[in-house]
Amino acid sequence: MAFCIAVIGKDNAPLYLATSDLERELDLQYHVHAALDVVEEKCLIGKGAPDSKELYLGLLYSTEIHKIYGFVTNSRVKFIVVIDSSNVALRENEVRAIFRNLHMLYTDAVCNPFYIPGEQLFSKKFDRAVQKLMNGST
Amino acid sequence: MNIEIITDSGACPLFRSLESQILNAIPLDTCEWRRTFQRPTKHVRLEAQAQQFNVEPLEKYKQGEWSILDHPILHIYVTECNDVDAYKATIREEIDAWLKLLTSYGVSDWMILLVETLDIRKTKNLLPRTTVLDKIRLDFGSKNDDRCISVLNPAKFEQKSTESFRCLVQRIRFLMLTSYNRNIAKYEELIRSKREKRNHDDWDFRQYFFLQEDLALIFEKLELPTEALIQYDELDAMFSQFITHTGFNEKQQWLAYFKRPLSAFHGICLSRVDKFEMRQKIRSDGVSLLEFRNYLFERQAYLLLTCNDIPEIAKRLLGFLFSTLREVEYIKLDCQEGALCCWEFVCALEVLQLCEQAMEPNEVTCFQHCAPIWNLAKDKLYELGKLCGLLPGCTPSSEQLHIVVQLSSGIGDAPPQQQFLQAMPQLRDRSPNRKPKLSAAQQLKEALGSNQAFQKLYLELAELAISTYKHVTRLRSARLVGLDLGKFYCALNEPHKAVGFFTDLLRELKAENWHTLSSQTLLELANCYRKMGDSLAYTKTCSSISCCAELETLVRTFYFDEFLKSLKTLNTTLSAQPSMENANYCVLEDHFRILDIEVLNTNPIIQDDHLLVQLKMESLYPRGIVVECIKLCYELHVTPESEAALHQDIPLKSKDCTPRLKVTLQLFHKEDGSLNCASVTSDTPKTKQPVRRTSSTKRKLSPSVQADFSNIVQVENIALQPGINLLELKGKATRVGRWQFKQVCVSMSSLEFLSEQLAMQLQPPTFEICTKPASASLHFKTLIAGIVQPINLHVAGGSFIFPSDAKISLRCSKNLRIRQALQPDDPGCANDATFESTLLVPLLQFKSFEERSFPLEVLTDMPGRKVAKHHDHHITLSCPWSRNELPIPLEFQPAMEATCRLHTCGTQKFLQVIMKGLDAQLLLHQAKVKCDVPGVRLQDLNPDPQEPIEIHKSLTVTYLYEIQVEPLKTEHELPIVKVHFVVKYATLTQPQVWRNYGCAFDLVDYSTLFKLQAQLEPNELCRLRTVCNLNLKITKVNENPYVDLMYEVLNDQNLWAVCGRSAGVVSMKDVDSHSISLDVMPLSTGFLPMPSIRLSKYTAGGKSKTDGHSKVHPFPPGQVYNSTKSMQIHVIASVSGEQ
Repeated sequence: MAFCIAVIGKDNAPLYLATSDLERELDLQYHVHAALDVVEEKCLIGKGAPDSKELYLGLLYSTEIHKIYGFVTNSRVKFIVVIDSSNVALRENEVRAIFRNLHMLYTDAVCNPFYIPGEQLFSKKFDRAVQKLMNGST
Repeated sequence: MNIEIITDSGACPLFRSLESQILNAIPLDTCEWRRTFQRPTKHVRLEAQAQQFNVEPLEKYKQGEWSILDHPILHIYVTECNDVDAYKATIREEIDAWLKLLTSYGVSDWMILLVETLDIRKTKNLLPRTTVLDKIRLDFGSKNDDRCISVLNPAKFEQKSTESFRCLVQRIRFLMLTSYNRNIAKYEELIRSKREKRNHDDWDFRQYFFLQEDLALIFEKLELPTEALIQYDELDAMFSQFITHTGFNEKQQWLAYFKRPLSAFHGICLSRVDKFEMRQKIRSDGVSLLEFRNYLFERQAYLLLTCNDIPEIAKRLLGFLFSTLREVEYIKLDCQEGALCCWEFVCALEVLQLCEQAMEPNEVTCFQHCAPIWNLAKDKLYELGKLCGLLPGCTPSSEQLHIVVQLSSGIGDAPPQQQFLQAMPQLRDRSPNRKPKLSAAQQLKEALGSNQAFQKLYLELAELAISTYKHVTRLRSARLVGLDLGKFYCALNEPHKAVGFFTDLLRELKAENWHTLSSQTLLELANCYRKMGDSLAYTKTCSSISCCAELETLVRTFYFDEFLKSLKTLNTTLSAQPSMENANYCVLEDHFRILDIEVLNTNPIIQDDHLLVQLKMESLYPRGIVVECIKLCYELHVTPESEAALHQDIPLKSKDCTPRLKVTLQLFHKEDGSLNCASVTSDTPKTKQPVRRTSSTKRKLSPSVQADFSNIVQVENIALQPGINLLELKGKATRVGRWQFKQVCVSMSSLEFLSEQLAMQLQPPTFEICTKPASASLHFKTLIAGIVQPINLHVAGGSFIFPSDAKISLRCSKNLRIRQALQPDDPGCANDATFESTLLVPLLQFKSFEERSFPLEVLTDMPGRKVAKHHDHHITLSCPWSRNELPIPLEFQPAMEATCRLHTCGTQKFLQVIMKGLDAQLLLHQAKVKCDVPGVRLQDLNPDPQEPIEIHKSLTVTYLYEIQVEPLKTEHELPIVKVHFVVKYATLTQPQVWRNYGCAFDLVDYSTLFKLQAQLEPNELCRLRTVCNLNLKITKVNENPYVDLMYEVLNDQNLWAVCGRSAGVVSMKDVDSHSISLDVMPLSTGFLPMPSIRLSKYTAGGKSKTDGHSKVHPFPPGQVYNSTKSMQIHVIASVSGEQ
């Protein structure tokens, strides 16, 4: 369902990154990193209207094989999801659902008192849940 | 092109002359179009074409097979019948039949035009009751008389016709728009109904396409490009849906129509001369999917261009390309390898060229969309290059050359183009001198032609992609393109050009902690540096790679070995003056992690002591490594808050370490010059700027500036194991102050690994180096001589480091002795021999900054002096920290005071010794006097066995002795007799310890020479103012040399009056006594003291002039004894009669 799901901290350092395809992981990482440009751009535009509480940023950019979607939490943690662009059956609402679930998973993970905010996420539970999410079996 | 059919059965030839005039007039002005369904009103410019009445389109209209494009919008019946009778005869029926026909087809857009050719004179003279127009209106225009209109024949009435002609044109425009409103609504309904049937077997997309496109074209003509665009967008979406959702449905027969192989893959062309060339082709020959898509996009782009929304074109391009690719894939079109790349490339470049020409550089939104297109073009070109063997280092094989030929033919030639400048006034040519750009297809063909051209175009595109990304501040994306470009340069064997791109990327990635990616970039860099032969940079990069935890161990150890190998050769190749660029500095954080710094010394650290610091450092190297030196420098600790306090802490010895607050006065004046506000501001110096937030999290590529390494702790030649190492660093604490660790520097061969400023990462401990002089002092209260006095030696160690056997020696001045204080039960306590004149006080285990007090006791002899006078002593200290001796003055008060007096009673002499207590409380015992002079004996008159007597301040004790001098010994022989008084004393606290107190008295005039007796007559009873006789008798008691004596009566003038002489001289030569009588008179009643007599030695004046005066010398008190001294005379009042 998704190629890659990434959680990126507010200082743009990756906190968590999972890919479905290990061989393409590097390439996907580069794409996720570049997507931060668009996230910043969109957040900058969003600054003008503080009442817009929309966390979902929509499609950041697309390539021939990927569609890259973004989401930013109120604490400026970014979620990036890379989706197979040949999967036309996937609706925007489903992408939103992925982000909603991911947000909940992330919130649960950082609620762990042993987690230091800003550190990388190594929670196995979180990883399992994200892998599930990535495979589309939510 | 709007078709409007004007039908005329009656007056064809007449109307022909009017027709062109009307058609020309219609587009001359705009007309307000009030639209249905609350769509906004719009001013539109109409065009019209005339056409003879024809039933065929009406037939189609009725059947629902019509196209709005061909449908007649307005039907006009023209007549020039001005005669009412003629009208009634023929025209009315004709019109009636015409209208009925129209109604039967459901057409209500009609108009009757009456061309008036009335004679002016006729109309003037005879006004007809009813005109033909009235009749027509009466007959047909009952509901809509605005559809019946007359116009003066402009051929005949040139002046008058203008007004009526204007009205006519206006009316035609209005009716046309009304018709459009009706027809568009109807047509939309038709489209909807057709769309509903899209899943029917015989439904054909192409038919539907033309149906809806006609509507779009109408909108376009009516200058509603956005609405036209909506129609195209709907068609676009519908087509995509068909392909992606029902792509393999057998029911969709028409799909096979688009499934023709892609033999040609022309890109889009946004500046075609004939825009509808393809439309024609679709209708007649059929087109490939790509061609159809191209046409659709071109139309959309054209409409967007009309709206002047060029950014939207760029925005839509990628979606268009990708969805088309997907469609090609879905319907499994056969195509040549690389064909789609070519198509994408040409499309991308076409749009980019349009944007480049149209856009101002500050229009960021357009460039935001352009940047990914540049990148795409670059990527596609690369793919093609790979396919055709055009990449650096490759030469195309014959097969690949064949592919090039095939692709080139497939790309096709660009169709004849409109010049943008002429076509679109909003487009401009930015650089007129630039040679006209080649079309996208030409550029691609050229690039595929040779390796050089390919490389040139690739580099150009990559640079453009980077610069456009940078222009829209998408730096990460720009760096990513840089990565590709860098790799390309590497392949070109130009690693020096690649390095810049890789370093930029590395900086970006490291700054945001993307370790996996940054380690990959390091690998690229290492590759570059190796090729360049930059051994320094290579060494540094190898070192960094070997510390990347993200990489595989095998890779890391390989680069670790490379690093060690390269490090060895580095010494010889290192450049002499390292600049920041090729410096031998490395970022320490990439290789080591400083976990903790702890000062091992106990606080405070004394100046010149060894500073011991424990550094907890994690080595990230895969294996152990030997480090030449690890240095940790520290600087004066400055916090903004404590800055003021620091001034007091740090002595002002060194100028550089005393940061002063720069306080300046600020005065704000009002407009009239009076003072508004005064304040004091302080600028914190820039060097003490608090940490910037970004630098705390971000990692840098080049190390921070080297701090001042003049104050360091260090360790040399130490092996660091992978993982955590505990290191002990040493240094000498040279300078005083509060310090904070600043930077760590690890030296390995000629490389130096510099850390960040430590204060930004962990809070390094601060420590204080201080110095404090040692001191010794003596503390005491008032000191009393003669008894044991407590005294305290106070030693404050300061920062002096004491040897274990340190001693302080105390040397006393003469008659002063000292000892360490003893307990009262100590046997030596009572023994005065334990006091010594020199004392060594050992400072056992004395530590710096310790303070210790030593109780001591001093004792000084009490010199036998009569008067109470303090005694000065001093104790000289010699301390281990000082070469100079330190004299401390001490002042002792005597414990008691002894005085003596000599008393006379006739010839008897008595010695009185008075002991006066002072500050101390003492017991006295065994007082004795001694006199060694022969013939002088002192008899003790004190009560025998003497009990100890306590004296204290204001309590005196008196001892009495009689002096008996043998008469043989005259005073002439022994003028002075020395008498020693000795008494034992003890303090109340130590009553058993008796010490001696001795005092020597000199006795003079210890024998009586003369005795004086006075007697008053009548004896013992005197009356006031009665003269009495005072008998004075002077008797010589002992032999003496004084012959002439002078007596004087010294009386109080208020008590006694001497009658006659009050003084006289007697000679005692050869006589033993003299009696003198004097007359005295009491002047007061009561008990009066006897007038006192004074006896003096008299020396008569000699004959010589020098010695002419007589001299009188008084006797000392012991030589004359006045036996009647202090006798009192009772004087009673005189008899009253005598007064």
